[in-house]
Amino acid sequence: MKPARFDYVRAESIAHAVEALAGAGGDGKVLAGGQSLMPMMNFRLVKPSVLVDINRIPDLDRITQEAGVLRLGALVRHRMTAEDGLVARHIPVLHAAMKHVAHLTVRNRGTFCGSVCHADPAAEMPMMTLLLDGTIHIASPRGDRTMAARDFLVGSLSTALEPDEMVVAVDLAIPEDGTGWAFEEFSRRHGDYALAAIAVLMARADGRMRNVRIAMMGIADTALRFADVEAALEGREGTPAAFDEAAALLQAAIQPNSDLNASADYRRHLAGALARRALAEAWQRTGETTGGAA
Amino acid sequence: MQDQATITLTINGLTYTRAVDARLLLSDFLRHELGLTGTHVGCEHGVCGACTILMDGRSARSCLTLAIQADGATIETVEGLGRMSDLGRVQQAFREHHGLQCGFCTPGFLMTITDMLRHHPLETDDAIREALSGNICRCTGYQHIVDAVRELARERGPLT
Amino acid sequence: MTAFDASVEMRPRLVGQRIKRTEDPRLLTGSGRYVDDMAPQGLLHVAVLRSDQPHARIRSIDVGEAFAVPGVVAIFDAGDIAGDFKPAIPTSRMKGYYATPFRPLAEGKVRYVGEPVVAVVAESRYAAEDALELISIDYEPLPVAVSKDDAAMDDAPLLHDEAGTNVIISRTFARGDVDAAIAAAAVVVKGRFRMTRKTPMPMETRSYLAEWDRRRQALTLHSSTNIPGIICDVLGSCLDLPGNRVRVVAPDVGGSFGGKGSLNHEEMLVCVLARKLERPVKFVADRMEDLTAMSQAFDETIEAELAVDADGRLLGLRADVIGDIGAYSIYPWTGALEPVQVVSFLPGPYRMEHYRGRVRGVLTPKPPTGPYRGVGRPSSTFAMERLMDMAARKLGMDPSEIRRRNLVTAEEFPYRTGSGIIWDRSAFQECLQGVCELVDYPALLRQRDAARAEGRWVGIGLASYAELTGIGSRIAVAPGMPINTGTETASIRIDATGAVTAAFGISSHGQGLETTLAQVVADELGCRMEDIEIQHGDSALVPMGTGTYASRSAVLGGGAATKTARVVKAKVLKAAAFLMDVPVDDLEAEGGIIRARSSNATMTFREVAHAVYAQMGRIPHEQREDLVGSESYDPYLGTACASTHLAMVEVDPATFAVTVKRFAVAEDCGRIINPLIVDGQVHGAVAQGIGAALLEEVVHDEGGQLLTASLADYLVPIASTMPEIEILHVEADLPNNIGGFRGMGEGGTIGAPAAIANAVSDALAPLGIEVDTLPVTPDRLFRLVQAARGSARL
Repeated sequence: MKPARFDYVRAESIAHAVEALAGAGGDGKVLAGGQSLMPMMNFRLVKPSVLVDINRIPDLDRITQEAGVLRLGALVRHRMTAEDGLVARHIPVLHAAMKHVAHLTVRNRGTFCGSVCHADPAAEMPMMTLLLDGTIHIASPRGDRTMAARDFLVGSLSTALEPDEMVVAVDLAIPEDGTGWAFEEFSRRHGDYALAAIAVLMARADGRMRNVRIAMMGIADTALRFADVEAALEGREGTPAAFDEAAALLQAAIQPNSDLNASADYRRHLAGALARRALAEAWQRTGETTGGAA
Repeated sequence: MQDQATITLTINGLTYTRAVDARLLLSDFLRHELGLTGTHVGCEHGVCGACTILMDGRSARSCLTLAIQADGATIETVEGLGRMSDLGRVQQAFREHHGLQCGFCTPGFLMTITDMLRHHPLETDDAIREALSGNICRCTGYQHIVDAVRELARERGPLT
Repeated sequence: MTAFDASVEMRPRLVGQRIKRTEDPRLLTGSGRYVDDMAPQGLLHVAVLRSDQPHARIRSIDVGEAFAVPGVVAIFDAGDIAGDFKPAIPTSRMKGYYATPFRPLAEGKVRYVGEPVVAVVAESRYAAEDALELISIDYEPLPVAVSKDDAAMDDAPLLHDEAGTNVIISRTFARGDVDAAIAAAAVVVKGRFRMTRKTPMPMETRSYLAEWDRRRQALTLHSSTNIPGIICDVLGSCLDLPGNRVRVVAPDVGGSFGGKGSLNHEEMLVCVLARKLERPVKFVADRMEDLTAMSQAFDETIEAELAVDADGRLLGLRADVIGDIGAYSIYPWTGALEPVQVVSFLPGPYRMEHYRGRVRGVLTPKPPTGPYRGVGRPSSTFAMERLMDMAARKLGMDPSEIRRRNLVTAEEFPYRTGSGIIWDRSAFQECLQGVCELVDYPALLRQRDAARAEGRWVGIGLASYAELTGIGSRIAVAPGMPINTGTETASIRIDATGAVTAAFGISSHGQGLETTLAQVVADELGCRMEDIEIQHGDSALVPMGTGTYASRSAVLGGGAATKTARVVKAKVLKAAAFLMDVPVDDLEAEGGIIRARSSNATMTFREVAHAVYAQMGRIPHEQREDLVGSESYDPYLGTACASTHLAMVEVDPATFAVTVKRFAVAEDCGRIINPLIVDGQVHGAVAQGIGAALLEEVVHDEGGQLLTASLADYLVPIASTMPEIEILHVEADLPNNIGGFRGMGEGGTIGAPAAIANAVSDALAPLGIEVDTLPVTPDRLFRLVQAARGSARL
């Protein structure tokens, strides 16, 4: 298990990095934390001709607050996201999710943006980006562009990124003040990829659910949002019956795969169980002050 | 663009300069180029933790790191923790609590625990077990390792 | 008490103490030396192209541009090395058995995915792997029967044509009239139990370094093996080399759990290649190769029926076992090792008259099964202990009570089971009682009932078992196997500095034998522990040694150490008596000092040794003896080791995750040499057992392809999976062997799976669920619960 040969570029800047990618003839890879890419290279499942190491590019390891969003640069490690005060204060659901991300040593290296680009259907970052109406900032020699997370995540290990592009940052929308939240995940062991997970955001007004957002993972080729279910809950009272209905809708909406760890039926069951837990929990948290941007 | 380079890095306080292939893993560099065979290789896909070293003060999987990435870095390995005649504190605790059997996963645990003690609160057994859960040991069932870390964390006190 | 009280002198000083391990300083500082840490001048590396077919004829092999890869030195297939070795034949005296020949590279056809076909030798592993990508093998796929049930059919495609069948092992053990017992019984319970395939997964992968000494025309293999003596013997015969020109050294070895306890393809391969190329050749398996091709474990289906009378007394047991032994019968143990032991041990530690156990071992296109910590007994205990609980449930009896009524009692030893195993006296009843007291069983039941009343799924499970350990030459480790595994030799010498070197044929791979054997030697010899070096893991140390397996090393190695130390001590005292001019009976030795009881005069070991070896004429030559000894020990039979495990679990009704809330072990391992080490062995083995019960499963798909080829797919316990393990050591009467030791390295893997399975079944008792397959994953539990509820409500 040793990687195949490649040419190595230590990028000094974003421009340098994307130039090198463009020069790789469609066969370049960006190396950030390397916690997903390097295993695949060691297995020789991925054999890039050019490896562009972005770890020395200055200023990409920042979490900053912009208008209504938190911006996570391409070198923000999982550990930084987990420990960051802005994240804990403004997006507690992300803070909670970080506890489920791999293990201490992997968190030291792995990056938020790298995980979004890797687009594993059972990893937390793509799902959280989707939940938080994320915007992906993309650079290439052809110029910069942004893309909504839902357009970016195409399928299992597949994104809309072009071969000469790199992600420089992800913006996550800060939920409005008083938003209730929940994150529920189930994996075989602590830190493993999830069999299924759900994250929920909702506001409460006049005793009713407002602005419900639901994202799940582990139940399809990619993390998903559920606009229909979100809409169905809009304006409903937060009762067990409403949550049961929503869970049933979610179960009907998904087409999970069967694999080693879980059959499709079990995954569907799990999705429902986690959904009931998460919806109730999020509802209970509504009204709590989040100190958000609103 | 290159498939080879000369790198300079500091390992356990000593500076090394070597020419390396770009694809050479840091684990192989340490073991086979420098003869620092205390760092072990258990899976080469980042799951078992046997190859854990410290890079610039934080634990990292040396099997998921290229040697070339470590150019300019400060690396700590098990060889830097203490000597047979003068064991470091984490090593002592492992010996006292019988936290090792075959010894193969041990260097990785020692380095992870060094990071844990520097940076993590470790207030409860659950927190200790969670922090250890990226390292696999097949011999000990973890109990004596947890015992050792509990003692070390108590000795250290709260993080400041 | 007087100074002459012999009991004071005889009392062990070091045996029984929590001595810190002498191995640790080197292992803690990165100063250990494992095979891959060695890099002799001119070293070449091997990478292996493996079969991607479960069963196929090799039509042709095209190496393409592989030779052009920089650093590639040579490429070999079976044809290229055909004249360089004889295959290893795992013979057995079993009737109807076929011994599959074992070779370095597949010859003619491949029989499992992962079987080595082509070897690339290169200056680096990187270059060797580059070359693998350029080699292609043209296969003619052959029909396969992947599952053991299909493979056992009369018309199944044959994996080894020469065998004429896939069922190469077939045995029946019987006593009494079990059919009548079952027909007449008040209660009969039955089940179809499956212990799925596991992989040993030691942290160090299989690693082999062969060096050919051109001058001596001799081979040295450094191997991550736990049976260096056996490997040395078989290599000598396969490579046609006398024993003085083959040496197998196991340096520091990073665990085995059985996976390093058999001959491996690649182990033969590096030896053949090193001799051919006259250069050092190393193969270090990567994790994927170990998960794909290391010998695997268990994989039986056990159909069993247990008859019980109205008072819960066992009447008879009828079982039909089919074991999936993979594509080859492993060397030296044969494919019978695992499945035959299942039927041997199925009657368990219980009094029961009638028994019939039938077993078949079936060849399938998968890696061979081989030794695995616990061998046979994890599966048999799982089935039997499940049946015990099912019977208790039918009778409305507590699981502890049905065990109490049936465990062999003190006055019944030695007890012969229905399969013919003789249980030596061990604390069968005391372990059950002990574990119940340890956890306050009645209180635990109340706790469970309170949780159950809240609708929670909480359950308690017990598992009692006994195992044979430290077995001597009367009993073959594997059925019909011609190798003597019942003897161990120690060789002790004291040199002119008074330093003690004690050499053994056993081979420590994590057990801490350097520490425990030094404790035994120091006590018996009367020297200081720090003056002893224990040598092991090297076929050149003693004339005959096999290695460490089957919980034998404390009993056999410890026995040989004791006998030899006594011989050497007699020589030391004889020399000292002459030097001190006192009768030898007046002398005692302890802590490196020899003391005359009558005068309190003393000499150190060092002084005696110096006088013996270095001072010319100090001792007249007719009285002078070298301070050396070599004795072997054979316990003839074996000794029982008993234990009861208790697990308390909770099942999450939403996710079906099983959490182990408590785990307790009461066990009798005889005289304990080092409690620290014994506790560590129990913890580790229980973790492995919990892994087998909840997580671990090697999965091959219907096409024979491996689906669990990474550690992200083959799940082993991590720190957060494990509960604290509570241990009670029950030291009943010591067994009738020289040190009073019982072997205990394997026990945890035997009791834990059954205890967990019983606890989960108890937790789900309100739904009437009986766990019959391990691991009991969330997905399996989900399906069991769904079936029990029999509706679409979930």
